[in-house]
Amino acid sequence: MNIDLHEKKIPIIKIRDFLIVSIQVDMHDKLAIQLQSQILEEIEKTGAKGVLIDISVLEMVDSFIGRMLSGMASMAAIMDAAVVIVGMQPSVAITLVELGLEMPGVDTALNMEKGIEMLEERLSNYNTL
Amino acid sequence: MSEKIVFEKAKERIEHIEDVLSSVAAGDLDVRIEAEIEDDLTGVEEAINILIEDLTYELKQSKKMREELEEKLSKIEDQQKTIIRQQDDLLELSSPVSKVWDNILILPVIGTLDSQRAQIMMENLLQKIVDTGCTMSILDITGVPTVDTQVANHLLKTVTSARLLGADCIISGISPAIAQTIVHLGIDLSVIKTKATLQDAMIYAMRKNNQLTHGKIKSDHLSETEETE
Repeated sequence: MNIDLHEKKIPIIKIRDFLIVSIQVDMHDKLAIQLQSQILEEIEKTGAKGVLIDISVLEMVDSFIGRMLSGMASMAAIMDAAVVIVGMQPSVAITLVELGLEMPGVDTALNMEKGIEMLEERLSNYNTL
Repeated sequence: MSEKIVFEKAKERIEHIEDVLSSVAAGDLDVRIEAEIEDDLTGVEEAINILIEDLTYELKQSKKMREELEEKLSKIEDQQKTIIRQQDDLLELSSPVSKVWDNILILPVIGTLDSQRAQIMMENLLQKIVDTGCTMSILDITGVPTVDTQVANHLLKTVTSARLLGADCIISGISPAIAQTIVHLGIDLSVIKTKATLQDAMIYAMRKNNQLTHGKIKSDHLSETEETE
């Protein structure tokens, strides 16, 4: 069982300056921690400026995953990459707010398209600086 | 000899009284004790007859009253059903979310908010945001007379949840009374964009909309000119 967990990896796709992570399985704590370090390593390796995390198929997010997501946003920010969480379901949003996890530092977008637009805009601002 | 006859007669009458009483107990109220001779027992017999009469009358009366009560109860139950149905209708009717412009949703709230209504309102709004893909939503509370801590909390929750989905939520139509209550209650609404009227909120939303699209046009334009240069 343990070996299975370690072998199961969530794919991280690099497109131009962005990393796209689509979470399509139920997250458990181990997988979440693994994903966190995986993404941060990938940011270092590729020098990506933005990370899009698609959670549109996640029906349920617990406090651990919520904290992991907001923690990852601040970690990535230190590494000069913006994290956008994409496609959160209403029930998930309500749960997170009820849990008091309002994720203040995290950017969110309704869908992948809007998320990419958001990051592109940020990147163009970044380039003009 | 005659004593024995009297005794037999009395026994017979007492048995008759017993029969009548047992049939009354069984529910037959039409039987009466027939008094044939006037003597000491006659008084008892008459008294029993009167008791039976009274009992009959009381039973009739209580039956009538029970029927009336049952009728009233069924009426009340009907009314209760109507009230519940109307409450459901009210809940459904009271939180319409409409798309008024490209990318803009409006949720006008009218009447007092309780936590149940606020919950349904929030769910409706979030679902609509996801369904339509609108990134601006306006929560108009012009029609809300008063706000308490719980309701203010619900408003905050709605706005925060909308933000988690990736949409902006503006609250408009905060009356002086509500502003006073909110500040007195010590609720911090500074994290939320608030506008005085629905009109102001609309203008703000459309400007922001324009900014988004204009920004894009401008950047497209820029890249084109850069290329030509």
